[in-house]
Amino acid sequence: MKNSKIYEDLSLIKKRSLKVFLLVEILLVALAIYFWKIQIVDHDKYWHQSEANRIREVILPAPRGLIKDRDGKILADNIASFKASFIRENCENFDLFSLRVSRLLNIQENILKERIRKYKSWPQFKPIVFEDNLSLKEVSLIEGRKLEFPELVLQTEPKRFYPGDTFAAHTIGYLQELSEEEIKSSLHKERRLGDLVGRRGIEKMYDNLLRGQDGYYVETVDSLGRHIGMLEKRDPIQGYTLRLTIDSELQAKAEELLGGKEGAAVILNAQNGQVLALASYPTFDPNKFINLFSPEEWQDLINNPEFPLENRAIRGLYAPGSVFKLVIALGGLDSNLIAQNTSFFCSGSTRIYNQPFACWRGGGHGWTNLFNAIRNSCNIYFYNVGKRLGIEEIASYAKKLGYGSRTGIDLTGEKEGLVPSPEWKKKVKDAPWFLGETISVSIGQGPLLVTPLQIAVHTALIANRGVMVTPHILKSYQDPDTKEEKEVHFSPKSINPGIKSSAYEKVIRGMWGAVNNEGTARLAKIQGYDVCAKTGSTQVVNSIKGGKEPNPEDELKTHSWFTGFAPQNNPRVVVTVIVEFGGMGGASAAPLARKLFELYRKKYD
Amino acid sequence: MPLPWPGNYSNFIERNMIDRRLLSNIDWILIALLLWNSALGVVFIYSSSHYLPGNFYLRQVIWIVLSLIALFLFIMVDYKNFLTYSLHLYIVFVFPLAGMLIFGKLVARESWIRFPFFQIQPSELIKIIMILLLAQIFSEYKDRYFSWNKLLLSGGAVSLPILLVVLQPDLGTTLTYVPIILAALILAGFSRKNFILLLILALILALGVWNFFLKEYQKQRIITLINPLQDPLGTGYHILQSKIAIGSGGFLGKGYKKGTQSQLRFLPARHTDFVFSVIGEEFGYAGVIVVFLSYFLLLSRLFRSVDKSRDRAGIYIIFMVAMMIAFQFFVNVMMVIGLFPVIGIPLPFLSYGGSSLLTNYLAVSLVLNVKMRRFVNV
Repeated sequence: MKNSKIYEDLSLIKKRSLKVFLLVEILLVALAIYFWKIQIVDHDKYWHQSEANRIREVILPAPRGLIKDRDGKILADNIASFKASFIRENCENFDLFSLRVSRLLNIQENILKERIRKYKSWPQFKPIVFEDNLSLKEVSLIEGRKLEFPELVLQTEPKRFYPGDTFAAHTIGYLQELSEEEIKSSLHKERRLGDLVGRRGIEKMYDNLLRGQDGYYVETVDSLGRHIGMLEKRDPIQGYTLRLTIDSELQAKAEELLGGKEGAAVILNAQNGQVLALASYPTFDPNKFINLFSPEEWQDLINNPEFPLENRAIRGLYAPGSVFKLVIALGGLDSNLIAQNTSFFCSGSTRIYNQPFACWRGGGHGWTNLFNAIRNSCNIYFYNVGKRLGIEEIASYAKKLGYGSRTGIDLTGEKEGLVPSPEWKKKVKDAPWFLGETISVSIGQGPLLVTPLQIAVHTALIANRGVMVTPHILKSYQDPDTKEEKEVHFSPKSINPGIKSSAYEKVIRGMWGAVNNEGTARLAKIQGYDVCAKTGSTQVVNSIKGGKEPNPEDELKTHSWFTGFAPQNNPRVVVTVIVEFGGMGGASAAPLARKLFELYRKKYD
Repeated sequence: MPLPWPGNYSNFIERNMIDRRLLSNIDWILIALLLWNSALGVVFIYSSSHYLPGNFYLRQVIWIVLSLIALFLFIMVDYKNFLTYSLHLYIVFVFPLAGMLIFGKLVARESWIRFPFFQIQPSELIKIIMILLLAQIFSEYKDRYFSWNKLLLSGGAVSLPILLVVLQPDLGTTLTYVPIILAALILAGFSRKNFILLLILALILALGVWNFFLKEYQKQRIITLINPLQDPLGTGYHILQSKIAIGSGGFLGKGYKKGTQSQLRFLPARHTDFVFSVIGEEFGYAGVIVVFLSYFLLLSRLFRSVDKSRDRAGIYIIFMVAMMIAFQFFVNVMMVIGLFPVIGIPLPFLSYGGSSLLTNYLAVSLVLNVKMRRFVNV
């Protein structure tokens, strides 16, 4: 033990550590034996379990919520649709698969490959939808070859269906697939490629309510894809059922009357702003977006110069024409620049600021007071009132009365129109305001731009003698399971125009006269029903997509306006109609509005 | 004036010779075993993660290279220096790491410290300092049998990091501290009577932990260990799937990258904690035995290194390191075959994960350090 003199004696602890290593060795052998048992003795059992063990996740898309009209008639429904999907892990030869399936289902091979390639980041077992809306014949073709194509599976899922085709299409809107970029953006976090999303109208506005929550199940299948067991399941939750304020009868009538004429019609409940009908023509079939357009159909739709996808009621920008005279009248009365009896002489034309201005009636109206000026829509009268008011005051009253800002309807893409002023002209056109322009604005021409819905809301404001309403389309929404229904309340816009109520009465008298006393709106007269209205004819720039600014090079068209309400006291309904190329005054819009009033009266009074 | 050069010359030669002798005393076989086990790991990390984004096998290779560099840097410093400064190291490293852990837990609710390209689990690296500190405490302890004041001293030294790790919901890492302390106590001659006492104490503690600290999912894991079929879709699902993977491997396995269980993602944490299931499935019992043999050689090399040490502290270091690695190995292997709860302990050197790899390499570097200086520390 020579070492013991130099080194301390560590044999005790060395012995201890080697004892422990003996335990380690024993444990290792024991484990080796246990693994022998699992891997060799019980191998068959585990082999069969692993063969049975192929997992497949299947998404169960939630049916979108239904959209109903105010009486419960279904406007947007769901029907079953068949989809063909591809499961990568079951595929042995992708080229052979695409060749055979492209022939079987008559899809171009490269398109089929491209559709599947888009999902290359998906797990092997996840079905990739490559063809939608299979016909029953195609379904049976696939079913018959089930064993030949273990990588091909059929899925049914709910598909949006609009039973009315084009009915209320602009209001309901349409769905489109999310693009890859959108899925990457934070807005659509939980969405997948191929999901449909509301693009316009109610479908877009209330997408969150309608969407519901997709379910899924995870199943185990054997290597041939046969179902063995369910691992996990979550049922899809259908989206809320939306009940709209739309009255299908009125809507159908409005669409029928507009049919073939470009234009828009709005029917509002004057008291609470509920939209009973919102029609725009030309129109489109939202079902086409679900079933995928043929390339020609799509080109037709987007290149159509009449913009059938545009909702003219909220996005069409028109000059208000003579309808704007109501603003001038209210402004003049409120600022005491005119009174009930203030009269101007109309000889058919006049000179103001050294420029000639004509009345629409060449022969003139003679001495004209306010009542007759509104009744006959005399230009000369309103030139003079507008001149007294001046452009600043006109703009101020126009804004108070609902022009130049969005009405706040629950539809996306509403335009705000334009109320011109010297500041606006300076800013946008870098030119001074000419006094002559004030005179044009006085009869609703010039750069003024409004939407038909703004006119309707403006009319409701006059009908209510100064109470503004917010137009809205959603009436209530209902949980499809609990049937619990929640009413939607739209608080009225807090704008109080602050115009004295006597002014409204005087203007309303004129509007009554226009209909019932041989005025410009006489074609809307209904026996025993006090309709009050104002017509207008307007020249409009031939571009409703052209933004806020009118472009002087745009072609000008003459359109026919009608806006009115009934009855005179305790008004209940507002009808606003614009018919493009409808000719002067109430010629084409007024009779159309009369039919809508008649139907409303029949149904609600 | 004496010339500095000739006077220092012989000294220089001598030091250099010592260095050369040190170099020749490096246990290259141990290093080779390390690398062999690590290489096995890379092969199976690739098999189990090649279809995932992230290039885990490449990252593992980078970690191996970095760990190897760290290993060589560490053996250049005499372990006696580490021991001398172990308390300083403890203070310098454990406290800030503790602070970061608490900060991380309170603020980020994570047990990881994240860097731009990688992340580190401080609770792993603390083990090295614990080993050093315990070796230092016990190096002067020459009694034949164990005394309680030593237990209190050593217990006090390691209780802080343990407490911190317990505070995180990281049962696995906490458990890997146990073999280190256990190793120290065994060497110090902890008697059977005391061991039973400690067991009772641990039982009381465990009951307290069960009732106050364990999260519901952790309890569930322990319950499902007892009966995995009770909850085949929850925690038991993983144990069952792992067992199916290994059992279906048979004698020769399903072939590299052909394991249906792992390739179809039935296995959880395939490239980390469950990498051994992938080996069992794809290379069968033969693969399992190869890994067992590799570990037997590695562990035997480590344990037998005890014989080569000439000082008490060195023996403590080697034994604690060997115990630490053996414990992780056994727990992981028993976990994947369903003999131990799923608590997230990786297979040392084989599982993907930089912190665990680096810690184990540094631990082995201490063993190398002790072995190569066995003649020079007199």
